[in-house]
Amino acid sequence: MTNTLDQSGEPSDTPEEREYEMRAHISSIWTGGRLFIGIYTFFLASLVFSYFYLRSSNNGLLWRPDHVTAPRTYGLVIFGFSLITAILAYYGRKRLVKGSFMDFSVAAWSGVGTGLLALVFQILELSHLGFFPGSSGYASTFVGFAFMNIITLVISAYWLETTVARGMRIRRELSGASPEFSSHPRARAFRADVAAMAYFQVFVAMTGALLFAMFYLM
Amino acid sequence: MTISEERSTEVTGAASGHDHESRKLSWTQRPGIFSQHIGTAAVLAVVGYVIGHWFGNYLTSGYSYIANSGQNSTANALALAFGVVGWLLGIGALNYPFAKLFGVDGLEEESPVDNWTKYFRYTLDHKIVGLQYVVGVLLFLFTGGLLAMAVRAELLNPTTHLFSPDTYIKIVSEHGTIMMMMATSIIVGPLGNYFVPLMIGSRRMAFPRIEALSFWIFTAGYMVIFSALPYGGFPTGWTGYAPLQTQAGPGMVSYLLGFAVIGIGMILAGFNQAVTIINYRAPGMTWSRVPIFVWSILATASLLTLATPVLIAGGLFGLLDKTVQTAFFVTEHGGSSYLWQNLFWFFGHPEVYIMALPGFGIAGEIMPVFTRRPLFAYKVAAAGMIGVALLSFFVWQHHLFQSGINPDMRPLFMLTTELISIPTGFIFLVGMGTLYRAKIRLEIPMLFVLALFFNFLIGGITGVFLSDVPVNVTVHGGFFVLSHFHYTIMGGLLFAFMAGLYFWLPKMTGKMMNKKIGKLHFWLMFVFFNLTFFPMFIIGLLGQPRRVFTYASNLQGLNDFSSVSAFILGFSFLVFFYNLVYSMWLKPEIAPPNPWESLGLEWQTASPVPPYNFERIPVIMTDPYRYSEEGAPAFADLGTGGPTDPSTHSLA
Repeated sequence: MTNTLDQSGEPSDTPEEREYEMRAHISSIWTGGRLFIGIYTFFLASLVFSYFYLRSSNNGLLWRPDHVTAPRTYGLVIFGFSLITAILAYYGRKRLVKGSFMDFSVAAWSGVGTGLLALVFQILELSHLGFFPGSSGYASTFVGFAFMNIITLVISAYWLETTVARGMRIRRELSGASPEFSSHPRARAFRADVAAMAYFQVFVAMTGALLFAMFYLM
Repeated sequence: MTISEERSTEVTGAASGHDHESRKLSWTQRPGIFSQHIGTAAVLAVVGYVIGHWFGNYLTSGYSYIANSGQNSTANALALAFGVVGWLLGIGALNYPFAKLFGVDGLEEESPVDNWTKYFRYTLDHKIVGLQYVVGVLLFLFTGGLLAMAVRAELLNPTTHLFSPDTYIKIVSEHGTIMMMMATSIIVGPLGNYFVPLMIGSRRMAFPRIEALSFWIFTAGYMVIFSALPYGGFPTGWTGYAPLQTQAGPGMVSYLLGFAVIGIGMILAGFNQAVTIINYRAPGMTWSRVPIFVWSILATASLLTLATPVLIAGGLFGLLDKTVQTAFFVTEHGGSSYLWQNLFWFFGHPEVYIMALPGFGIAGEIMPVFTRRPLFAYKVAAAGMIGVALLSFFVWQHHLFQSGINPDMRPLFMLTTELISIPTGFIFLVGMGTLYRAKIRLEIPMLFVLALFFNFLIGGITGVFLSDVPVNVTVHGGFFVLSHFHYTIMGGLLFAFMAGLYFWLPKMTGKMMNKKIGKLHFWLMFVFFNLTFFPMFIIGLLGQPRRVFTYASNLQGLNDFSSVSAFILGFSFLVFFYNLVYSMWLKPEIAPPNPWESLGLEWQTASPVPPYNFERIPVIMTDPYRYSEEGAPAFADLGTGGPTDPSTHSLA
């Protein structure tokens, strides 16, 4: 029987096997990123469904009494920062593909900053509501939206921060060589992660626009 | 976000080989009292609970109506949520997410010790996680089963009572919730995690940390749901309907949070398995060569990932109603109690198939082994599973036939519900086709599979009746429905789980289960399952409602028959547990490498399965079920110097 184990008792992988697993790993990041967007779509769709269900039911004519008005300025600021975060993440990814790690880092760290600002304003908005959470169907769904948005913004900022922090560490480990063109496995996985992250940020901005229209404009 | 999580050791390995010298354990992983294990998890869970409770009281201290109400749901919810976080911190599941904030990519998290204590730690080995799940779901099952015994004991007599009506409904609710939560994970968790990588020829899961996290969240969810009892329970049954949900006491918070927490675990488990199956199939394993059990897990994973977020959102809305006083489900304040029903059943009906599909996957895997025949109409079975998964998103409103939905909508959902019986029927016929004129080896796993088909036939046909509006309206809320879903879920899923355990435990543990005790377990379970639940169809048709602790005195004979049968059914599980202890520890019999002579890839690797699963990544040569076929090639080339040379196959 062929001895395929090394001295530690683990398989001594052939280069083909390493490449095969590496490709599977990168594909997993791609698939996982898209599947996560699918999961999150259903999560947010529950809110959209609840909004229109209660709006069309209008039980006791309490969908939205006149005094229940969402603070639109807060909404604009939060959505604006989310949008900027997404644009920065997408731009950063584009620059990384072009070979500029520095541009990516600056854009991503700025995106982390704007994402955290959006989070702070979302919490502030929630603590300065002009209506009681249970005063109407709209008020309830608005509070639900605010809580969900906090979760979304935390995930978004976390993913962006961990990606750029990882990129910087990989750069150090590669002795200053940029990860955008390296064939090192970590660099390849990093690039796949950046792509998945950027798609998610764009998804957050797009759903943010939809929810902004629902809760502040309609 | 942990999408980018990867098995860093794998990537390191790919870059520099398996370099053990460079592996340094963090202090949290070194053996010793301060390393992270279930004990530290328990301590930090308690600390988190206390901090959360204090924080909740602090946050709400300015609201006199909460302070004066005698119960502070915000404090309860935060206590439980912080407890869950403490549990995850203590076990070490959050080490890597925190380390990632600093760009760390290669945190060493393998178990530091190779002894029994590794089963009580956070580990990245999918086989250990699978075994942890086995113990976890059996604990769930045992707890839920004890509650079932209490229910049947109460129903022995319509006038002499063991419990008050209030206590009775809370026992029923806890039983239902624990069992349903257990049932969603009972196959995907233990057998899916353990065997999917082996069956697709992979050395790993796509996201091992997510896999491990899903298990420890599952255990946390169990404790949260169980905490409802000391909090006074909840009176809603497992469906948690509003407005009862809104009116219920603090136990309801445990229900809502517990469901949401376990839901997160379910999503993570499904996510990881779906990604693994899509990306980590061995070279040569085209979609038409994927084992049918893996197909069933893929279909289930798609349901877990897409349906469960709706449950979590529903749980979040319910918690907001209980804590910050929103009115999602309060009709008087502009909400709607029907909204909960819609959200719950949008998850709840796919959940039925989350439970059923893996059972059929196991049956499809086991039948060819014990009939020595190929799986009949393999592609139809796979298509049927995907068809069931897709259609299951379009049937949820049949649970609302009685709830005041627009009557014009009823025929549509009656039609979709009846439609789903077509792909389900395909899967059933695949089983029958495989068994037709076969010489069946009646080993214990096969006995359970045959029982599954018998039980599911009854459960399925009564399901077709129930999808029709007139019958549904007539028997709604009664024992007929109760019996129907016990036939499909317990009669289908639990029998499949037992079949899977008896079939695969020799691979998982290297020991055979005792046959005599196993057959005793099977016959007791099969006979008394039917004697317990079949009379309930009659009881239901005679008008006994569910969740009521008394009933008409003329139904006592049937109820007593059912209760006594249920006690023996409960005893059959003790026989199983005894067999487990007897065969694994008291008088172990070493299992041969392939005791059932299966062609499955999981049986072709070494026993016990090494941490890396396969020495060489296998190359799949042909279809998975070519039993009794003259000259059929081996399913896979394992590349370990066997008859075929691995170097001739391209991995790219």
